Amino acid sequence: MRKYAVIYRSVLMENMQYVMNVVMGFISYFIIIFVLIQLWNYMYSSPDELISGYTREQMIWYTLITEMIWFGARSAKVSRQAAMDIRGGNIAYLMNKPYHYTLYILAKYTGEWSIQLPMYAVLAAVMGITMVGRLPQFHIVTLLAVIPCIILGVTINAVFKLCISLISFWIEDSNPFQWLYDKLILVVGTIFPIEIFPAQMQPFLKLTPIYTVCYGPAKLVVDFDMEKCVEILVAQIVYLAAGCGLMFFVYRKGVKKLYVNGG
Amino acid sequence: MLTAVKNQVRVCVLFTKYNIMREMLNKVTFLTNICFMALNNAAFIIQWVILFHLKKDIGGYTMKEVMLLWGLAASTFGLARILFDRAFALPDLIINGKLDAYLVIPKNVLLSVITSSTNTSAIGDFLYGLAVMCIFSFSVGRFFLFLLFTVTGAVIVTSFALIMGSLSFWFVRAEMFGNHMVNCMISFNTYPDGIFRGKVRFLLYNIIPVGMSVYQPVHVMMRFDLGSLLTVLGYTVLISAAAVFVFYRGLRRYSSSSLMAARM
Repeated sequence: MRKYAVIYRSVLMENMQYVMNVVMGFISYFIIIFVLIQLWNYMYSSPDELISGYTREQMIWYTLITEMIWFGARSAKVSRQAAMDIRGGNIAYLMNKPYHYTLYILAKYTGEWSIQLPMYAVLAAVMGITMVGRLPQFHIVTLLAVIPCIILGVTINAVFKLCISLISFWIEDSNPFQWLYDKLILVVGTIFPIEIFPAQMQPFLKLTPIYTVCYGPAKLVVDFDMEKCVEILVAQIVYLAAGCGLMFFVYRKGVKKLYVNGG
Repeated sequence: MLTAVKNQVRVCVLFTKYNIMREMLNKVTFLTNICFMALNNAAFIIQWVILFHLKKDIGGYTMKEVMLLWGLAASTFGLARILFDRAFALPDLIINGKLDAYLVIPKNVLLSVITSSTNTSAIGDFLYGLAVMCIFSFSVGRFFLFLLFTVTGAVIVTSFALIMGSLSFWFVRAEMFGNHMVNCMISFNTYPDGIFRGKVRFLLYNIIPVGMSVYQPVHVMMRFDLGSLLTVLGYTVLISAAAVFVFYRGLRRYSSSSLMAARM
């Protein structure tokens, strides 16, 4: 594990030099949140109205948290860089090193979001408090449970995105698959909570990464419940284990294919 | 004069043709990019079905009008990135001194730059826009208006990208700011303008040109109004003139980086 910690630390130090780049990214976050606030203000006819059990404040805070995860954890490391390593043949050099390639990418990715995500969290909190107001039922202590959920969610997302990038072993461009995965998370997961979908669809949606990546952490922020927290954490651990299994399996298969093609 | 214009148009058409032919070298990747981009756009239909299930009218738009808005936004961006993709990557050319290669071409510099690449997935956007229009609100008159507004929208979007990209001639980090501003057009133009009020509305119709590239055209297609149509056409001419002016003003400040590279 020490070697991955060294990789993580070196990327972390490197990214600290580019904090201004992250700050520039706030423009996009601000605009998308602004649009969504306008949308939900329009959708709620009165301040006391409930939509699928959510008040207007809860709904907007839900989108603030999901978009925070989306923006704070986005990185080209697990998508474009991994795919380019495979397409460009650079993987032939990286796979001989004394680390596992997929864990190497994940360590680098963690080094990136460790800077970005807290910065977006501060922005989300400031925007939420100034533009929407405080969440009535929120207690700061719940963050102790929410933070591990967010970290697990971000890691699950990275593992699945890396799995998609590994498709590049078979087809040249895995980007189109990334778009579809991103849209699944973005459209179904970030704009509204699962409860808004028809009752018949909800059990199915709980089986998708949306539940563990976006819904879980955001739900715990807007409406914390200990039972729900345990349920989400268990689902995340199962998902992470399955995702890692899939990632190692696809990588092992892909590397054999690389050997056949000669890199 | 007319021959020069004809020649320039021919060169631009050839640029686009060869760009597409180059992308088609790997047919599987080419087709997957197009099909998946169309699917990617279609995913947003779910969002709107859910929202219209909650409320019948959003910002004065029905489902049919939102789909028309989406269709026009997709085809506008699609056409812009098929024909003028490099306009969206202008800062990279400026910062890394890659404009040198275009300065020595005995044709119009700006057109040579912006037509020098094509985004394959944008073909998916363009086709998706046309398909959505035909499925949700087809009529012969509306179809021709849609084509006209796709062209004006593409010119407006490209001009805005050019103005934002040209800021790199003057400012460091303008690249990121410009990219965010162009991306913010996408964020705004896929939501009905009725949900925005006051100063934001003014901003969308004047500073960020979403109003004239998508909102106003959708209003004209739903309820025809000659005045609004002429306003869109006038705005298109104005913003493209502004983009040309800003680019050439900036080009005076451009200095080569003596970069030696092969253009493939």
